[in-house]
Amino acid sequence: MHQPGRRKFLQGVGGSLALPMLESLSPKPLRGLQQDPAPLQRLVCVGTYLGFHQPDFFPQRTGPGFEFSPVLKPLESYRDRLTVFSGLDHRGRNGHGGWQAWMSGSATGSVSMDQLVADKVGDHTRFASLQLTCGTPPDPARMSFTKEGVALPMIGRPSVLYQTLFRSSDDSARLEYLLASNRSVLDGVTQEAKALARSVTASDREKLGEYFASVRQVEKDLRKQRLWLDRPVPRVDYPLPEFDPVAPDLALECESIMYDLMALALTTDSTRVATFLVPGWSQVFTIGGRKLSAGYHGLSHHGNNPVRIADYNLVGIEHVRRFGRFLDKLDKAKDEHGRSLLDTAAVVFGSGMGNANTHDNSNLPTVLLGGAFRHGSHWRIERDAPNPRLLGDLYLSLLQRFGIDVDKFAGGESNLDELVA
Amino acid sequence: MFRLAGPLGAATLFVASALNAASMPAESRGFLDRNCVACHAGEQAQAGIRLDGSGIDWTSGEATALWERVYDVLETKLMPPRGAGQPSEVERERMAGWLEGQLLSHTASGASVPRRLNRYEYENSIRSLFNLPDFEVPHSFPADDSRHGFDNNGEGLVLSPPLMAQYLVLATHVADEVLPPARGATAAASKLHRLGRDGLATGAGGLVGDGAFRIVSSRNMANVAAWPVRFEARQSGIYRLTFNAVGYETDRMFYEQRAQPFRLQIYARPKADEVYAPFGDLRILAEFDVHPGGSAPRTLTAEIELLAGETFGIRWENGPAYSDPPRRDFSHAFLADRLTRDRLFYAAMLEFGGGARSTTEKELYEAIRALMDSGNLDLHDPRLDKLPEVWGGGLSSAPHNWIKGFVHQELFRFGPAVDLSGIEVEGPLRLVEDDATRARRARSERFLGERAPGTTDEEHARTVIGRFLPRAFRRPVEEGQVEAYAALAAGYLRDIPGARIEDALHLVLRRALVSPNFLYRGLRPGPLDSFDLASRLSYFITSAPPDDALATAASGGALSDPAVLAKEAERLLLSQASDRFVRSFTGQWLSTRLLRGIMPDPRLIQFGDANRDAMIAEAEMLFAEILREDLSLEAFIDPGFSYRNARLNKIYGDDLEGPEMRRVTFETGGRYGGILSLAAVMMATANGVDTNPVHRGVWLLENVFGTPAPEPPPDVPAIAPDTSGATLIRDQLAAHRADPTCARCHDRIDPLGMVLESFDPVGLWRDHYPVYTQPEDGSEALNEEFYSTVGKGTAAGPLVDSVGLLADGTRLDDTPALKRYVVEHIDMFSGCLVGKLLVYATGRALTFRDRREVERIVAAAKSRGNGFRDLILEAVGSEAFATR
Repeated sequence: MHQPGRRKFLQGVGGSLALPMLESLSPKPLRGLQQDPAPLQRLVCVGTYLGFHQPDFFPQRTGPGFEFSPVLKPLESYRDRLTVFSGLDHRGRNGHGGWQAWMSGSATGSVSMDQLVADKVGDHTRFASLQLTCGTPPDPARMSFTKEGVALPMIGRPSVLYQTLFRSSDDSARLEYLLASNRSVLDGVTQEAKALARSVTASDREKLGEYFASVRQVEKDLRKQRLWLDRPVPRVDYPLPEFDPVAPDLALECESIMYDLMALALTTDSTRVATFLVPGWSQVFTIGGRKLSAGYHGLSHHGNNPVRIADYNLVGIEHVRRFGRFLDKLDKAKDEHGRSLLDTAAVVFGSGMGNANTHDNSNLPTVLLGGAFRHGSHWRIERDAPNPRLLGDLYLSLLQRFGIDVDKFAGGESNLDELVA
Repeated sequence: MFRLAGPLGAATLFVASALNAASMPAESRGFLDRNCVACHAGEQAQAGIRLDGSGIDWTSGEATALWERVYDVLETKLMPPRGAGQPSEVERERMAGWLEGQLLSHTASGASVPRRLNRYEYENSIRSLFNLPDFEVPHSFPADDSRHGFDNNGEGLVLSPPLMAQYLVLATHVADEVLPPARGATAAASKLHRLGRDGLATGAGGLVGDGAFRIVSSRNMANVAAWPVRFEARQSGIYRLTFNAVGYETDRMFYEQRAQPFRLQIYARPKADEVYAPFGDLRILAEFDVHPGGSAPRTLTAEIELLAGETFGIRWENGPAYSDPPRRDFSHAFLADRLTRDRLFYAAMLEFGGGARSTTEKELYEAIRALMDSGNLDLHDPRLDKLPEVWGGGLSSAPHNWIKGFVHQELFRFGPAVDLSGIEVEGPLRLVEDDATRARRARSERFLGERAPGTTDEEHARTVIGRFLPRAFRRPVEEGQVEAYAALAAGYLRDIPGARIEDALHLVLRRALVSPNFLYRGLRPGPLDSFDLASRLSYFITSAPPDDALATAASGGALSDPAVLAKEAERLLLSQASDRFVRSFTGQWLSTRLLRGIMPDPRLIQFGDANRDAMIAEAEMLFAEILREDLSLEAFIDPGFSYRNARLNKIYGDDLEGPEMRRVTFETGGRYGGILSLAAVMMATANGVDTNPVHRGVWLLENVFGTPAPEPPPDVPAIAPDTSGATLIRDQLAAHRADPTCARCHDRIDPLGMVLESFDPVGLWRDHYPVYTQPEDGSEALNEEFYSTVGKGTAAGPLVDSVGLLADGTRLDDTPALKRYVVEHIDMFSGCLVGKLLVYATGRALTFRDRREVERIVAAAKSRGNGFRDLILEAVGSEAFATR
C-alpha cells in the first residue's frame, strides 16, 4: 500500500528521516584476500532432525584414503574439499529435546555458533542471518539461539522466504512506513519511561534501565533495516511453485526449494549466515516410485531391522543429494574477487541427533566444507580418550577463522586446527 | 519459623562497617562471642559468615539477610552444631528475641520492583483488551525466568532487546487485527487445478493400480481422511470441486457395508501441514452418498467455500473404523468390537505375540493373515472369551497401532473402501469475505465506538484514546498522556492526505502496546491504591487485567474497603477465570510444569502425552476442588478423593475406562491421595529413570514444610545414589552426612526423601527397587505388555526402606505416617502455602516482617475453619498483599 504523504508526516512526528549513514552500518569491502589466513565470510549449517544411520554415514576407513559411505556417496565429487568427522558431540542430553544443543552445545539458553558469526559479519547484508526449515517442524526442533538464549523463529514456507528476500515494492512502502513509525513509537514511549523514572525509587529506576537499554538496541536494529530499505532488492528469476509444499509428505520437495532459495540468498549477498533445519515427521515417503516401509520417524527408530535401515538410508541419501546440489550452486557463484562462494564459506552438514533409534545424541554425524580448511580426510575422534575432543572444539576452529575472539565455546576449549588447518 | 529468604552466596559476608553500624548490646555481643565466633570470625570464617563485627549495618540488604539466617539457625537449633557447646534455652531465647526485634524494626514489608507482564499475562491482557480470544505469542517468544519459585516475579521478569523487538512486532500484528490497514480491491484470480496421481495424501490407504486413490476409513480421524498436498486456497472464495468416486468391495470383507450408502464429506482443512486436526473443529462443506454395488465411478461436484490458506479434505464419514474424539488413535470400543467378533483374528494376535517393534505394517499384516489362514489356531483358547486384562487402561500404543495397521491393510486389500480419481478444483469463482475479515471489521467498529455527530476525525480520535488508555494502562491516565497520544493521531491525520482515523489509531495502539505503562505493573511509587490493588488481585487470580466489575469497583475507590476487596476476590476465585490461577500456581508450586521435560524409562511405564496430561489434570483438579469447595487445608495432604482416568490406572490400580477425568473416592490414611503422593509430583521430583531422596527431601522442605534448604556449597559434588543394589541408599546418604557441613542440611533433607522412596520415578508404589531385565529401548517390554498389566522389563531388586528419622526425633515409617505428621503440623503447611501464595501474588520475596503477617493469616484462617479459600481471602486482606 503506497501512501504518498507518509514521508512528510514522519518528518513531523518521528524526527529526521534523513538517516545518518552510520559508519558501523555501512557496507565495507570484503576484507583482505591478501591477508593470510583469509577470514571466512559466510556460514551455512544444515542439520537433519531425525539424523542418519551412523554405520552407513561414517566411512569405514579414516584419513585421506577414506571411502565414501553409502549415505555420503552423493558428495563424492567434493572428496578433496570436505572433511568427515566421527566421534564428535557435546556430551549432552539425549532425546529429541537434546537436538537443540547442536549449534550451541547447551540444550537451551546459550548462543548458537551462527549467531556469533552473524554478529561479526551480519552488518554487511540485509539480513544478518536467516533461519530456514520446511513447513512447521515438531515442537522441540530448534537450531539458532540469540545471546539471550531466545530460539529464533524459522521460515518454513518457500513463498514467505521468497517474499522476505525479494519483496515487491508494495511491501516496501508498508515496511518503510512501519520502520519509520516504529522509531517514532519508540521515541514516544521513551518519553513515557523517562517521566516514570523521575517519580520512582532507585531500584525501580534500575528495573526501567532494562527498558531503556532494550529500546536503544531495537532502535539501532531499526536504523539498520531502514538503511537497507533504500537499496534495491535483488531481482531473481526463480519459478516458485504456486502452492507451498509444506505438507509433510512433500517435505523433500520443500527441501529442494528451500535449498534453492538459500543459495539465492547467499549468491545475491542478502545474507552471509544461514541455518537450515531439515525436519522429519511420521510421513511416509515414496522414493524411486516405491512407498517406503514406514513413516520417516518410524524408520529412524528402525530397531535394527535391515528393511527399515535401508529405507531410512534412502531418505538420508535424498537429504545428502539435495545438499550436494546446493553446494554446486554455491560453488558456481563467485564473489567480487572471483572466488567461489563455497571457498569463502564454512559449511557444516550433519545432525544434532546421533543414533535416532535410541535417541542417543552422541557421535553426531558431521561434515565440514568450505574455504580456509585443509580437507580430504575422515577423522575418527576417540571418544574414550582421556581428554576427548568435542564438537565444540571444531566450532572453535570455525569461529576463530571468522576473526571472532573466542577460546571457549559449546564445551570446547581448544580448537581442532591440528586436523583442519 | 518461616525461612523465606534466599540462600547466601559463599562470599565472605562481613557487613559491619564502622560508619553505618548500629552497636550491639553487650549481652548479644557476649552471646555471639561465647557461641559463634570460634568458627565464624576472621578471614577463615566457616561458610564465609563472620559474626565478629562490633555492630550491624541495617541499611545493607546483605546484613539483613545474614542476620535473618542467624535468627533462623538459632530458632531451629541448627546452630551451634551438634557436638559443640550449647547455650541455655534462656540465653538462646533472649538472643533470638533481641534479633527478632531488630529485624522487625529494620526491615520493611514489600518493595516489589515493577513487574513486566509475563508471557501468559501478556497474552491474556491482549486477549481481554481487544477481544482476541485466540491470541497467542509465537513459539519464538522469549521465555520468562523464575525467581523464588514463580515466573511472575519482578526480579526475574527481565526485559531484553529481542523481547522488545517481539513486542514491537506483536503490537503491529495486534493493531492489524483491531484496525486493519485498508486494502485495494482484489479480483478473483480463478484457476483450474488438476490434482494428479500424487496430489492426495492420507494416513491410511493410498494409490491403487489404475491411478485411483483409495481411502480405507476416515470417520472421525482426520489423519486417515484424504487431502490434497498441492493445493491451497490463495484467496478466500468459492471453489468448484469435481471428482469421481466409487465404492470398493470384495467377497472377503469383514465389515459389511453394502446395506448403507458410503457417505463422503468434504471438509475444510485449516492448513496443509496440519495433519492431526480433529474433525469436531472442521467445517463440513459438502456431502455425497456413493451407493455401494455399482461398478462405474460417479462424478461428483460441489461449490465449496474455502478461506485463504485453507485446503479441503475428503472424509468417509461412515467408514468402518473409528475412534473416540479427541483421541486420534483407534478407540477401545472399535478394537474391543473387532477382537470380540473376530475370534480368528484375536487368536492370531495371541499366537503372533506382537512381533518386533520394527515390523512394518505390511509385514505385520502378512504375518497375522498367514496365521489366520493356517488353520492351526486354537479357537477354544479361554483367553479369547475376554478382552486382554490391560484393556481397561494403560493399553500401550503398540497394540493399538498393530490392530490399526492390520485393519487398514485388510481394508485396502478387501474393502470396503472408496476409490477417488479425477480430482479437480477450480476457483475462486468469486471472492467471499472470510470470518477473520468480518471479525476484524467488528473489532474495528467496537474500538472506534459511537461517534458524536459533527465531530472531526481528530476529535473522535481523542475520545477513543481517552477511553482506551485507562483500559490499556489499567488506571486513570493523566491529561498530559492522553494529549501526547492524541497529538500522535492528530499529526498523522493532518499530514497524510486522505488519512483514515483507523490508521491514525493504528499508530496510537502500537505505541500503547510497547509503553512501559502497559508492559509493567506496579510502576507507581507509594502505597498501593485502589487501581494497583485491582491489578494485583486480577493478575493473581486470573493472570489477566481487571474485568469490568473489578475495574468499576476500583474506580469508585471501593477496593480500599477490605470487605469489598474480599468480595471481589471471592467472586473471581469462584469464576471460570480462576482456572488460570489453578494452572499457573499448581504448575509451579507442585512443579508439574517440569513433566514436559521428563521422559520416563519405557521399562517402568508406557508413557505418552495422554499420561502426562492426566497426571497434570489430577493435580489441577484436586487443587481446584479444595479451592472452590473451600475444603480444609488437610485435604491437600489426605483428601480421600482424587480425579483420574484410564491413563492413570497403572499407577493407582484403578479400573477406570476412557480419557475423561472422574472423581474417585477412597479411604483416607492410605498410600495415595493428596499432594505428597501425586504421580505428577513424584515424577516431577525424579528424572524419569531413578529417584533421588535428596531431590524429594528438598522439594518437601521447600513446598510443604516451608523451611527450604539452602543451596549446597559450590565445591561439593551432587549426590547421585546408586540404586542398583550394590550399596543401600540409606548407607550412601549416611556416609555423606558423616561430614558435619553436609549433615547440617541433610539431616533435614534425607529423612523426608527416604519416606518417599516407596514411589518410583513415575509415582508407582514399589516395595523393591527395579532391576532392569530388558534393553533400554524397551522393544521387548513393549510386546509383553499387551498381555499383562505389569511391564515385564523389570524384576524385583533390593527392598525399599522408607523409614525417615526426623531431627525432632519423630520416626516416619512410610508415606501414610508422613501424611499424618503433616496433618498434625497443619499450621506449618498452612504457613508454607501462604508464603507461596503471597510470593506469587506480590511478585517479590517475603521479608522478615512479612513472617508475622504469614503467622497472622494462618491463625485467622484457622479460626474460620482452615478452609483453603478462606486462607486465600485472608492473604488478600493482609498488609503484605496491600504493600508493594
